[in-house]
Amino acid sequence: MTVTAGCPGGHGVPPRSARTAPVHPAPAWARSHKSLLLPAFWLVALMMAVGAARTVLLIRHSIAEYPVATTAALALFAVYAVPFWLFVSALDYLEREPPLLLVIAFGWGGLVATTVSAPGSTAIQNMLAKGYSPGFAAAWGSAIAGPTVEEIVKTLGVVAIVLIARAQINSVLDGVIYGSLVGLGFQVVEDVVYAVNAVAAAGRGDDIGPVVATFFVRGFLAGLWSHTLFSALAGAGVASVVVRTDRTLRFRLGVAAVCLFGAWFCHFLWNSPLLAVEVGDNGYLLIVVLLAKGIPPLLAILLLVRSARHREADYYIAQLTALDDRDIATPAELHVLGLGHMRANARRYAYARAGVMGRRAVQRLQRAQASLALELSRAQTTHDPAALGQWRDEVLRQRARLRSLGHPEAVAVDQRRGSMRRRMMILAVTLLLLTAACAALSL
Amino acid sequence: MRVARVRLLQNAAASLCILLVLVAIAVGLPAIDRSLPAEQAVPPHEPYEVGAGVTVVPPAGAALDVTRTRPTARQGTALFVLGRVRYVIVVAPFDGELEGAVDRLRRKVINADGQLDAGLPALTGTGLVGHEGAYTTPDRAGRYAVFLAPDVSIEVTVSGTETELAETEQVIEASIATITYQERL
Repeated sequence: MTVTAGCPGGHGVPPRSARTAPVHPAPAWARSHKSLLLPAFWLVALMMAVGAARTVLLIRHSIAEYPVATTAALALFAVYAVPFWLFVSALDYLEREPPLLLVIAFGWGGLVATTVSAPGSTAIQNMLAKGYSPGFAAAWGSAIAGPTVEEIVKTLGVVAIVLIARAQINSVLDGVIYGSLVGLGFQVVEDVVYAVNAVAAAGRGDDIGPVVATFFVRGFLAGLWSHTLFSALAGAGVASVVVRTDRTLRFRLGVAAVCLFGAWFCHFLWNSPLLAVEVGDNGYLLIVVLLAKGIPPLLAILLLVRSARHREADYYIAQLTALDDRDIATPAELHVLGLGHMRANARRYAYARAGVMGRRAVQRLQRAQASLALELSRAQTTHDPAALGQWRDEVLRQRARLRSLGHPEAVAVDQRRGSMRRRMMILAVTLLLLTAACAALSL
Repeated sequence: MRVARVRLLQNAAASLCILLVLVAIAVGLPAIDRSLPAEQAVPPHEPYEVGAGVTVVPPAGAALDVTRTRPTARQGTALFVLGRVRYVIVVAPFDGELEGAVDRLRRKVINADGQLDAGLPALTGTGLVGHEGAYTTPDRAGRYAVFLAPDVSIEVTVSGTETELAETEQVIEASIATITYQERL
């Protein structure tokens, strides 16, 4: 038995997911090879091939001229992308996105959006110089041209993913994930180009100093609230058009337009000369300005992500709640399953009580519970008893293992303190990084 | 494994729309830009702000190419055009010696498959010390000068054919002599 809009708590009130952010699970028949028949797939493949060729041409000269610095830039920003990628792709624990689509999103941002945006952005800056003055173009060109061209091209990447695999866009959160990865790809390639340009501008030959400085400033000081964030917002708008079929098309397009404008405005504010401080002027002031410009959109978008995650979690957990089977999931486990830090807390608690075996069993139980919830939701449209049975058996197997280890329930303990400790650690690391940044930039 | 014909058509139409937007941005915008004139008159005998506190009095009869001119607080570029002669001034942050600044320009010229001659010491009318000489690239020839000011280097390149260069030499020499650096407070 499955539910469509039951309350996780079973009080007869529709969950948040049904009220403001519907979830449409990907049906079991949604297979990747079907996308090969769609023109959108071949358009994306062609655009990525052209973008890759143009990107190689762009950095080929730098590799020949500054082999060490260019390699260092490629390596540093490739490594930099890994934690972002892991974080973004893990946002949707309950329904993971297909890796191929994540790669396409990243590739669109890094190969297509960068190469298409560059000539368009230059043209707009030139027109500003012709219409107003070179001084105006120098001051406001990147604030006007950058967001206008780049946000459109990046958002088209999420639209292309919708065209390739519409069934995989199940909730607003999916749009956030694909948008973030498009933005991440863009940010990484753009930062590599900035780094090699800085090497050339420094005029000290094959020196990695400018690469490290660019990595520090654009990667850490500016990276947290850059393209990844802007595109996440625009991606949420695109996903909203797809999933909010309970509203009129005009309303959904309006939401998408507001999200795109939000991304444009955050980008505009970031690039604008308002509150501008040049690197090297005053390290402390630079940090303050970066925080003032970056934190408001960061917080706004994090709240959006948090809300979208919770709504999606509500939906999937309602599937398990409706089973009312303590062997499948206890009420305490259902509470834990929807929140990332609580799942991690439960694994740590299992490790403390039952060692590595306990932690592994809890991890597998959580994964199996999430997969079972997904199959239960799919069963509303397409019934696949084999998949349903497979994950039910896996849950029961892990439950039996936990019982044999003397830790029968995958619960989190001391939740408030654990969460606070984690937050304090993040705060301490952030402060440490900011202090180091101030010191480095003041030198 | 089949996809409904209607869905295929819708998908193709939407893909075409994406392609059209991309083409409009990558090709259309640059085409509009090229269709607008890039050269604008500059007031003669008045110092023009190149960037980072560097000014120059443009040569008589020169026009400013606004697409290649970008003055900012820390750096700047100005491109003046006299007929087919291009007179470019690039100001960039630099904290090394004059030789290093000349090397930086040499690297740019070599990257364009050209070469820079040994050159001679130079001095602007305002007292900036520098180095000047001649350079060649496969499609252009010209003169260069590099001056050093506190925290910035000033690269000057003048390119065109031999005849055109000879015709404009006097006014450009006079303009180079007016390059001034004023440190910002």
